[in-house]
Amino acid sequence: MTTTKNRRDTVASSRKRWNESGLALLFLGPTMAVFALFSYYPLYRLVYFSLYRPNRNSFIEGADEWIGFSNIWDNLASETFTAALWVSAKFTLMTVPLGLTAGICLAVAADRHLRGIKIFQTIFSSTVATSVAVASVVFTTLLQPENGLWRDVDWLSLNKSASAIRAISVVAVWQNAGLTFVIVLAALQAVPQEIKEAARLDGYGTVRNFFSVTVPMISPALMFLAVVLVVNALQAYAQFEILQPVKTAQPLLYKIADPDGASTISTRAVFSLGLFGVTILVSLLQFNLLEKRVHYGN
Amino acid sequence: MSSVSFENVSKRFGDTTAVDGLNLKIENGEFMVLLGPSGCGKTTALRMIAGLESVSDGTLRIGDQIVNDVPASDRDIAMVFQSYALYPHMTVRKNIESPLVARRSTRLPPPERDQRVAEAAGILGLTEYLDRKPGALSGGQRQRVALARAIVRRPEVFLMDEPLSNLDAKLRTQTRAELVQLHETLGSTFVYVTHDQVEAMTMATRVAVIANGALQQSGTPEEVYDKPANLFVATFMGSPPMNVLHGQIATGTSGLEAQCSVGTIPLNSAASALGAGAQVTIGLRPEDLIIDPDGHLQMEVSLVEHLGHERHLHCSAGTTNVVLRQSSSEPSAAVGDRVSVRADSNRIHLFDPDTGNRIQ
Repeated sequence: MTTTKNRRDTVASSRKRWNESGLALLFLGPTMAVFALFSYYPLYRLVYFSLYRPNRNSFIEGADEWIGFSNIWDNLASETFTAALWVSAKFTLMTVPLGLTAGICLAVAADRHLRGIKIFQTIFSSTVATSVAVASVVFTTLLQPENGLWRDVDWLSLNKSASAIRAISVVAVWQNAGLTFVIVLAALQAVPQEIKEAARLDGYGTVRNFFSVTVPMISPALMFLAVVLVVNALQAYAQFEILQPVKTAQPLLYKIADPDGASTISTRAVFSLGLFGVTILVSLLQFNLLEKRVHYGN
Repeated sequence: MSSVSFENVSKRFGDTTAVDGLNLKIENGEFMVLLGPSGCGKTTALRMIAGLESVSDGTLRIGDQIVNDVPASDRDIAMVFQSYALYPHMTVRKNIESPLVARRSTRLPPPERDQRVAEAAGILGLTEYLDRKPGALSGGQRQRVALARAIVRRPEVFLMDEPLSNLDAKLRTQTRAELVQLHETLGSTFVYVTHDQVEAMTMATRVAVIANGALQQSGTPEEVYDKPANLFVATFMGSPPMNVLHGQIATGTSGLEAQCSVGTIPLNSAASALGAGAQVTIGLRPEDLIIDPDGHLQMEVSLVEHLGHERHLHCSAGTTNVVLRQSSSEPSAAVGDRVSVRADSNRIHLFDPDTGNRIQ
């Protein structure tokens, strides 16, 4: 009797599990399809092109040519890749800390009840609504080497690689500050009023209050920004393409997009995998370093 | 320890007056409860003591010092917030220690700090939770951490803004008693804001009833309950609230009486100051109404509420409704029964129908 009941229970629970799995698949399906089409398949093709040289000759039938893992190692060790990686790294180091700091300062300044503060909040956050391309075009009026307003500022000259990175960083800092502003302001406004008041009564001064109470309370937003801004900086392209008359500074994505047609598709596929790897590594590093300092929820 | 005094203090937010000419002296070591309905200005008054709101008019003193322009952090006070306002990223130890380390200039040396934290945690039974974060504590424990953070700085005045309102009923009862003990242990001045008259009655050495930004009455809980200064205080204090009837003074066969629509209520000699024919508002506490065959008010029982230790009888006659409080040991009436109700003539409250002020 008991055995029959147990068996019946087992059948019922296994049917329930199947039903639940089906439901889960139904919900996951659309996302999985989009990921498969736009992420997993392109990633597979990248790996494929890193290992095979495609047969471009449509008249002669033939399989793509196996070029092996050496193609990956050789390209990743090449001067082209390392130089571009260095440009991307410098660009990231210049734009992320400065953009974050500027955005946080603006958000702290604008987080108060004043007449007309909404106007400032709108102005400070307007860079979020500006695309990289538009921002770059706007900044050409300042940076353009022949007739830009800053044409005589030597350390922001677009004609030399080192100063070009600095000049392009100005645009990125301007944009990062806007994104940081919006997110940090929202995070600041979510800090309960009573906690701010408790800190005042405890006797924290403005600076200590900010670092001891406010920063930990908004740490999830700061962590998010640190990761997103670094990923964005590593994937910068349009600013470099639009602002520079002569492309002296070429970051990783420039080498991958390769508007000059300098590299084969197999080389560019390897560079893409390289960028993918660098992004993952840097993000993991950030998570490892920052996660312990981030406080989530109550 | 310090006294706190409001001298004609007002607070305005734009066109709204939250506190209107408040005069109140909170004595040294007193447990003063500011009691009133939501939006009456009691929290604003408390926040002015804390320095979280500025004073629009009048003078506010802590001890002998006028503190109108003294910043919150320089007032020797500690506040317990309704939501506890603990720092969620700090451990219980760091939270309690916070007022001792916040300012570099007044920071205590580590051994003394540890000793004070241990002492505060010991008083509130938090010693074993010192290394947890607030998120891992129950509501009651968080509330204790907030109290510990307040007592660790040994302030002149403790301010509490409805600190029990987020606790369940059982814990609230227990914590009420603990707060009274804490007040006795520390001997400091406590200013406590609540809308719950039970908290006021059970904890306060003195209650200040506030309505519409103005002080209605201040006194011991017994004074406020037994001799309410006006109709607002009379109906606000007590649960179920005081029954209110309207009547006219007349001279009956056995002395002065109040004639109401539901019958005649005999008054004692204290009402003799009122001449016959005067209109009057009569206040009757539910426990001062007794079912008695010789009663003067003829009513019908419309609802019986059993609370275990006592019973509330809702009685009506025409449009008049009154509530009687009975002990459960008394025989119960049933819905629909006709009853005679007598009012204890020594416990009748009379108010001026125009001003609402107490007559006797």
